[in-house]
Amino acid sequence: MSQNLLILINLIPLLLKGAVVSVEVATSSLVIGLFIGLFVGLGRIYGSKVISWFAILYITVIRATPPIVSLFVLYFVISRYVNLPPLLAGILALGISSGAYQSEIMRSAIESVGQSQMLAARAVGMSRIQAITNIILPQAFRLAIPPWSNEAAQMLKNSSLVYALSIPEILRQAQYVSATTLKPFLAFGAAAVIYFILNFGINRGLDSLEKKVKIPAQESVYSISKSRTSLVS
Amino acid sequence: MKAPIIKAEGIYKAYGEVEVLKGVSLNVNESEVVVIIGPSGTGKSTLLRCLNLLIKPDRGRIWLNDIEISAPYFNSNRVREQVGMVFQDFNLFNHLTALDNISIALRKVLHMKVAEAKERSLQELNNVNLLDKKDLYPSQLSGGQKQRVAIARALALDPQVMLFDEPTSALDPELIGEVLEAMKTLAEKGMTMIVVTHEMGFAREVANRIIFMEHGNIVEEGSPNEMFLHPQILRTREFLWKITELYGKHENK
Repeated sequence: MSQNLLILINLIPLLLKGAVVSVEVATSSLVIGLFIGLFVGLGRIYGSKVISWFAILYITVIRATPPIVSLFVLYFVISRYVNLPPLLAGILALGISSGAYQSEIMRSAIESVGQSQMLAARAVGMSRIQAITNIILPQAFRLAIPPWSNEAAQMLKNSSLVYALSIPEILRQAQYVSATTLKPFLAFGAAAVIYFILNFGINRGLDSLEKKVKIPAQESVYSISKSRTSLVS
Repeated sequence: MKAPIIKAEGIYKAYGEVEVLKGVSLNVNESEVVVIIGPSGTGKSTLLRCLNLLIKPDRGRIWLNDIEISAPYFNSNRVREQVGMVFQDFNLFNHLTALDNISIALRKVLHMKVAEAKERSLQELNNVNLLDKKDLYPSQLSGGQKQRVAIARALALDPQVMLFDEPTSALDPELIGEVLEAMKTLAEKGMTMIVVTHEMGFAREVANRIIFMEHGNIVEEGSPNEMFLHPQILRTREFLWKITELYGKHENK
């Protein structure tokens, strides 16, 4: 037992180093996905037929393929034309993959805000862009937080896929430890615990963000079941 | 004789097979209060939304102060600074306080400075007696309060014409009164108003002219006296009789 404990104490730093890389990969691809998602989501709703068509094509293709396959295809495509280090290529590939899902999150959030908000914004003289920036998006972002929290957790889990590109994130480190100590349960178990702690932190963090930016007294679809206060009439 | 402030000619709008407006023409003079009545789904809202170019008519022309606003490349955003609109469902900006609902239009559309916009917004809120609710969000306001904020928001831009699309149809009977009072005050101040409503009392008391619309056409129009006491067309008579009977029951209760 104490031998296991000793091994654990020695492998933790290695896994933590991997955790830093995992978080790096997850965060970067999440941010890239956010920009792509915003762009594609807005293009799909407000863009011309051509833009809309391209958006739908992109979303359909990405969503139909497993992320690891997208990762390999994009990695080999990207590194053929640009000499990118595997880490960057992996982040870019995951970001492009995440962008498809995030654009659907944005689209459903924008559609939930409703057309009448746009109507009212136009009625007071705002241009379409002003209406989108000042009225639609602020409300859409609030609505998007719960599903986005889901996507963030998913990205952290997907970051493990870059182990296939030999990037030293948690899974790779765990594999190394498991091979050298011959204690797979300990190695992968510890990795799983680290993933759990990170995801738990992300979810809690986003939950408190949601509370912080919540519009007072407004019941959202997600909060109705949790709320015990009566609706303000 | 001064030209009408709003002039619409031959407005036609169809959604696919369904013809909503079949060639409607109307003139509204300055400071006139025109009330449009008629059964639901007959194009009254659509007509209103054509007048501030929220909906583009398929055919027809519209003039505001002798400027043709329906011209192909006319900047429709400028039109909405001059023609304000109040909706049936209030449509306040949910993520903003009552005060910000008003000031955002001033800041973003009229490019007012923050302090000036705030002062103007406080003024408008005061005019509808809601100064104490300035920091509340729409979800914290009653229907009548929301609608009054919506009216203040539209008025803040200092429009020449105000369009009201069934402003009290979504309100509790008890709250209708406060909104109609606000509208009446506005009319007394000389605002040009075009109101779609079922409130016959308001129509009788405040309107200069009543227009009866059905199936995308204007059936009849005239002064409240002419329309209520001597309607010429059978359909108008039928509609008004039904409505005032209902209203009478409501009144006598």
